[in-house]
Amino acid sequence: MTLGYLISLEQINQLSLTDRQREEIIAFFAARDAELERLYRFDTADTERMVHVMPIMTVVREDKAVQLFTREALQAAAPETDEGYWCVPRVLE
Amino acid sequence: MSAKKDQIYMKLYISENPAAKSADISRRIAADDMILTSSLPTTAGSRMLKGYMSLFGAEVLTRLDNAGFTLAGKANVGEFAVDLLGETSYFGAVETDGKLSNAAAELLKAGEVSAVITLDVNGYPRRAAAQNGLISLKPTYGTVSRFGVIPAACSGDTVSIMANDTAAVSEIFAVIAGHDDKDGTSHPEAVCETAKTAAVPIKRIALPVNLTEGTNEDVKGKLAAFTASAEAAGIEVVKVESDIIAVSNIAWNILMSAEVCNNVSRYDGVKYGYRAENFSGIDELYTNSRTEAFGELIKSVIIFGSETLSADKYNKQYDKALRIRRLIVEAFAELFSEYDAVLLPACSALSYGEEIRADKYAVYTENRFTAPASITGLPAVVCGSVQLIGRAFSDGSLLAAAAKITESEGK
Amino acid sequence: MKYETVIGLEVHVELATDSKIFCSCSAGSYGTEPNMHVCPACCGMPGMLPVVNKRVIDFGMKAGMMLNCHINRTTTFDKKNYYYPDLPSAFQTTQWFAPIAVKGLVEIKTSTGKKGIRIKQIHMEEDAGKLVHDIREDTTHIDFNRTSVPLIEIVSEPDLSSAEEVEAYLDRLKTLLRYARVAECEMAHGTMRCDVNLSVRPEGSNVLGVRSEMKNMNSIEAIKRAIDYETFRHIDAIENGTEELVQETRRWDDIKGMSFAMRTKETAGDYRYFPDPNVMPVVIDDKWYDGIKSSLPEFPEVRFERYTTELGLSEYDARRLTESIALCECFEAACKVTGNPKDCVNWITSEVMSILGVRGITYDQLKLDGNALGELIKLVSDSKVSRVNGRKILDAMFDDGTVSPAEYAASEGLIISTDTDLIDKVVAEVVAADPKSVADYKGGKEKALMALFGKCMRQLKGNCDPQVLRKALIAKINE
Repeated sequence: MTLGYLISLEQINQLSLTDRQREEIIAFFAARDAELERLYRFDTADTERMVHVMPIMTVVREDKAVQLFTREALQAAAPETDEGYWCVPRVLE
Repeated sequence: MSAKKDQIYMKLYISENPAAKSADISRRIAADDMILTSSLPTTAGSRMLKGYMSLFGAEVLTRLDNAGFTLAGKANVGEFAVDLLGETSYFGAVETDGKLSNAAAELLKAGEVSAVITLDVNGYPRRAAAQNGLISLKPTYGTVSRFGVIPAACSGDTVSIMANDTAAVSEIFAVIAGHDDKDGTSHPEAVCETAKTAAVPIKRIALPVNLTEGTNEDVKGKLAAFTASAEAAGIEVVKVESDIIAVSNIAWNILMSAEVCNNVSRYDGVKYGYRAENFSGIDELYTNSRTEAFGELIKSVIIFGSETLSADKYNKQYDKALRIRRLIVEAFAELFSEYDAVLLPACSALSYGEEIRADKYAVYTENRFTAPASITGLPAVVCGSVQLIGRAFSDGSLLAAAAKITESEGK
Repeated sequence: MKYETVIGLEVHVELATDSKIFCSCSAGSYGTEPNMHVCPACCGMPGMLPVVNKRVIDFGMKAGMMLNCHINRTTTFDKKNYYYPDLPSAFQTTQWFAPIAVKGLVEIKTSTGKKGIRIKQIHMEEDAGKLVHDIREDTTHIDFNRTSVPLIEIVSEPDLSSAEEVEAYLDRLKTLLRYARVAECEMAHGTMRCDVNLSVRPEGSNVLGVRSEMKNMNSIEAIKRAIDYETFRHIDAIENGTEELVQETRRWDDIKGMSFAMRTKETAGDYRYFPDPNVMPVVIDDKWYDGIKSSLPEFPEVRFERYTTELGLSEYDARRLTESIALCECFEAACKVTGNPKDCVNWITSEVMSILGVRGITYDQLKLDGNALGELIKLVSDSKVSRVNGRKILDAMFDDGTVSPAEYAASEGLIISTDTDLIDKVVAEVVAADPKSVADYKGGKEKALMALFGKCMRQLKGNCDPQVLRKALIAKINE
């Protein structure tokens, strides 16, 4: 874990860490990587990954439109709205 | 319980509902701040959601309300319930006599409520129950609806119950467990019903001794006491070893951090919640809001979680952890072919001293006791300050065993 | 040096479901007020869980089958992570590890002949919201109506080599998907969007050149223009060193007729895909699979063959009908009633299409009951109702889908009278009242007969077989 890589991870997560935090995290990664070695002692080449712990399959619902809440209710806690839209600073495309 | 606002944030949002004040204690419950309520704020212990009023409440609270229970208020929780020690709530750590405590536990000990609904993401309710001599049940994954719960690590998040005795836990579990169409990971109704029964009695318990390493004398003492009571009740406790179960937390930390990172990415200062005052441009809006509103632990979880999913790391970390999960599930299955439950500590000490709080890495690995049940979704009961893990859907049997072993002799 | 263009397309198609893919909000968002079809789930609030809309899987399967793909019988959903204001949760739920369909083939026909375009995969995913930039200068307005609307993304192999082929491919996709009734596929409505991946290489080489990806083209014409421009830009860069080609995403500006490099977060490399723990795998059993397979419509070409060889329709007529499955189904139902395909296609290509045009209804939106149309056609061909009045009845059937042609004709007095006494009476009256026209006709002016004919028809309210009337009129004049 280098400082450059850490900063790129901050960027894609829209965070900005202090220098102290960065030092701590880099040190932490070193310790964590050592721990990871304990996982590699187990051979998983023939083991299928397990995304869900329970064998539930095919959960689907009927295609029916239902309106749960009004726009007013959904936007009640909005920091900034205008004419029914949520607003952010102008995005250049 | 002071009515001052700060202390209210510390322990409880008190419901204004007069029925809540007058309800009989056996009908009064609280919920931690990961459980959404439409009448009280839900903060997840985070500045990001300070004052957040959800438009809807959790399914479990609806069921409890229908069954005649009253929500007395909300209990403080570590930020997004990731922090095992419970220190990271933006609204302050709960302390009793200068020692780090837990809001849910304090409410129960003070007799304010008969049960607290908690979200077990990384084991904090089990740790808190163990350290306070309370009972906690983390149900089998999928038996209790997660609709209306703030998501953290969805593949393991389980709505849990903390109470003073197993009878109270059983009563609550009977009400909240059951199929919910609104939760795609919910078991069919009939399957949930079997979890409520004590169909298969616990007769033999396995104790993986390598997992008791790093616990102090107090905890070792509780394990010994539990073993003695179990044997006195005619239940065999046999020492075993398991290498794979011992690395549960390494794998769980990978999965949990990736999922938490993904589940908190929605908090961006745009639609609701905390928004920074100073920013220029969308990038700063996102970055300033998130940087100011998240605590340090969540920020590092985000970084860790993001790294583990990176294209060049995915196979060696996230994918690897998913396969280790299967090996752990298989290891438990093998144990359950001979035994009915697995006995583990729930924490390394009955009260955390300065050393563990100062060593960030010790805090990070403290979840090695709670991770096995988190990563497998198996039910876990904390009683007598130790933890019993059972087969899927053996929740009822575990509670019955807990009652038999720790409550029948007035322990 | 001769160059060849290598093009792969990623086509996003909005599925025609009633509700969104993971929540029950209405999926129809075109033209609605902002944020009227939104719920906590699709605007990024915590607490609701995704539950898959079954029809999305049905349509995904259908689309895969129409494009000759192999259907993955266990299909799963995954999360793709990035920040952009139209993505309320900062992730898109899509399919990365096990898409619904893979390895398909679409046949196209162009001026250079037939060609098979391989489909790499089709995957299901949720759409993002819409950003509006021109309401206020310093603000972007966000509408989440479109968030979580179900899409399929159809990814082709880079088998296309010209703007003409791309147009043929897109038209073919449109035809097949509309036929299967899984999508509207209207670029102007945004229900079909296309990203173009283009590179050039020396003719005969099998090494791929540097690729540029173009997004955001709103019409097939714009796509063709963009392809021609990019091909030129690439070749110019290689031959004359005008710029260094890099793999990048570019935005096509149709007004300026140029492409520009994009500098947005959308092009961020690492999406950190991982399996969605909240959505269980969808397992398609034989019953489900077979049910969808048997519900597929006949392919347009197969119908065309059948219409021309078995039913004897002209190629022109057959082609017009097979443009739309709604037309075909209406036609076939009408044929069952009348037993006369030529008559039916005549009615559809003249009267029906004319009414659709007047009312601004597309062929695919046709809801006319083919049985009832057949009844109407038969009434006219049996001379029970005149063609003109038949058109009136058809209009009434468009106004009200429950109208029965026979009942309507009877109640509105449109049945052709076979009452020869009445005809004779009217003819006698008209002839007696207009001796000049009679004289003109006898003097060789055909037009005079038409005037008399018209008067008789009007008095009979059009309810008369024209041949019968003409015969009676001439007979009376010659009396």
